Amino acid sequence: MIRFENVSKVYDPNIVGLDGVNVHIDRGEFCFLVGHSGSGKSTFIRLLLKEFEPTKGSITVAGRNLQRMRRAALPHHRRSIGCVFQDFKLLPNKSVADNVAYALRVTGQPARSIRRKVPEILQLVGLGDKMNNLPDELSAGEQQRVSVARAFVNHPSLLVADEPTGNLDPDTSVGIMQLLYRINRTGTTVLMATHDREMVDKMRKRVIALEDGKVIRDEDKGLYR
Amino acid sequence: MRFRFFFGEAIDSLVRNWVMSLAGIVTVLVSMFVLGIGTFVFFNVQRAASGVTQKLEIEVFIKNAASQDEINKLGDEIRAMPEVRDMNFVSKDEAMNRLRDSMKGHEDVLQALSGNPLPASYEIFLKDTNQTQEVASRFYDNPAVDNSAITNTARDPIKLAGGLSASATTMTVTAGGGSQLAKDLYIRVDHEIMRVTDNPVGDKISIARGLFGTTADTHADGAGVYSTDGVKTGGKTTERVNMVANYTLIGGSGFVVLLAVASVLLISNTIRLSIFARRREVEIMRLVGATNWFIRWPFVIEGIATGLLGATGAVILVIIVQNSIVNMIKQQLTFLGAEAVPTFWLLLAIIGGGMLLGSVGSALALRRFLKI
Ligand SMILES: Nc1ncnc2c1ncn2[C@@H]1O[C@H](COP(=O)(O)OP(=O)(O)OP(=O)(O)O)[C@@H](O)[C@H]1O
Ligand SMILES: [Mg+2]
Repeated sequence: MIRFENVSKVYDPNIVGLDGVNVHIDRGEFCFLVGHSGSGKSTFIRLLLKEFEPTKGSITVAGRNLQRMRRAALPHHRRSIGCVFQDFKLLPNKSVADNVAYALRVTGQPARSIRRKVPEILQLVGLGDKMNNLPDELSAGEQQRVSVARAFVNHPSLLVADEPTGNLDPDTSVGIMQLLYRINRTGTTVLMATHDREMVDKMRKRVIALEDGKVIRDEDKGLYR
Repeated sequence: MRFRFFFGEAIDSLVRNWVMSLAGIVTVLVSMFVLGIGTFVFFNVQRAASGVTQKLEIEVFIKNAASQDEINKLGDEIRAMPEVRDMNFVSKDEAMNRLRDSMKGHEDVLQALSGNPLPASYEIFLKDTNQTQEVASRFYDNPAVDNSAITNTARDPIKLAGGLSASATTMTVTAGGGSQLAKDLYIRVDHEIMRVTDNPVGDKISIARGLFGTTADTHADGAGVYSTDGVKTGGKTTERVNMVANYTLIGGSGFVVLLAVASVLLISNTIRLSIFARRREVEIMRLVGATNWFIRWPFVIEGIATGLLGATGAVILVIIVQNSIVNMIKQQLTFLGAEAVPTFWLLLAIIGGGMLLGSVGSALALRRFLKI
């Protein structure tokens, strides 16, 4: 599903984001990306989304080599990946339902199927009764669920989450974690960058640890440490 | 459905940025209003010009010695010229009748004439008055044509303010009224015509009186100066009207272009602000995989809508103003006579123009500020 081969990313002027990373994640895996602040987790995820190019190395996602991908194919690449961020990244002037619908609209889905799928997925994340609220009117946990709903409504084969629980209290975090776990159970590969030691230790999933841009540990059923 | 979505997004943004949107709408309105009124003015000046055109003619005088065949052939040639709108043959008798008509009360002058000294002629009416000189020049070398008599205002000689004065030995032609005599002109005293070439440009010229044969006398009614190249001679309504028409066109177009540029820049600024206001949204759109055009369309529609709203306002204003001017002229300046520009074309030009300004404005903003 994801293959990083000797990937390095050096930011201007000379800041190391990633340094010679080799990682291979299989279809359907659930995988944590851990490390101190500044260790390169977000860099890893943004490279996956092709927000920028690696300085060195090659990245393959779902069989597509990102360096050889044409610009016109980029939107399709992004649609095949659901993403969730620490700051939710919801459109503030749109209702919860419209926010989720947006991810379907960009794919050119007909209005009828949008009207069907949006309530369905919002029900699934437990927000069936808040569809017409604006994001501002929701709690942080609820907003993050909207964002998870938006990431999953297209049923992507890969879902990446960059510290999705970073802004949430422990109980709410568990709720989000459960959602991601359920999504993983449908066969979706999930990659989650996190600081949340407790969560990682409880889940006992694959853990990839970064430090100064290098992979220092990669183990199945691992711990945060 | 897609269009409805984009349209909704565009209107949303238009309303949210309403101050800037309004500024854009108003500039388009002003520039399209000026375009509309300019079209109206130009349309009417042109109409006036073409009214004058009908009176203008070239008169080609035919030599007395020319045969009927030569006369017919000349007529066919004239008829075949694409510039010619209409033509008319004036026989020697007809010319004499006209002269008689124009000299009512001075018949005694005509008594002195032996026979009929007037030449037959073709009167030519052109489609475009700008071509008078060009067409007239084609007859200079025609063997059937009395070269000394070609003129483009034969029946309406330029009345010189200064006129003609004579001493025992010389005749002096004065232009007067601030105008100048042409380099190349014909002077007629009674029916004797003389060509003066390479006249040093000025407002006065003296000629030895003897050159005018026997009868020349300055009180004769037909005294006048004909110009072949027509520069700087006074009293040419047609040229004036043409000039006014051309200046309205040039000045008006310049002004409209200026305003159009201002509208484009203002719309582009409106769109720039709305791109800026929605930069976070644009980032999110990209993350969920929106294509470039999916992101651009709402902004493009916003620009076009701005143009369209301004143009619609302009159309309403132009129609109101135009009709009240036409009514006013009809009531108070009846001799002028104005006419409204056909509404359909006006609508089309203004609405099309407004939409064009809108799309160019948003295209400009997208190119510069929405790097995708
Ligand atoms: N756009 C950028 N320009 C320059 N340097 C950057 C940029 N983004 C990240 N960096 C640097 O790259 C390194 C890795 O950053 P990254 O954001 O990947 O870390 P992280 O593991 O996500 O940290 P955190 O846990 O705080 O989110 C850091 O030193 C950071 O300062
Ligand atoms: Mg980070």
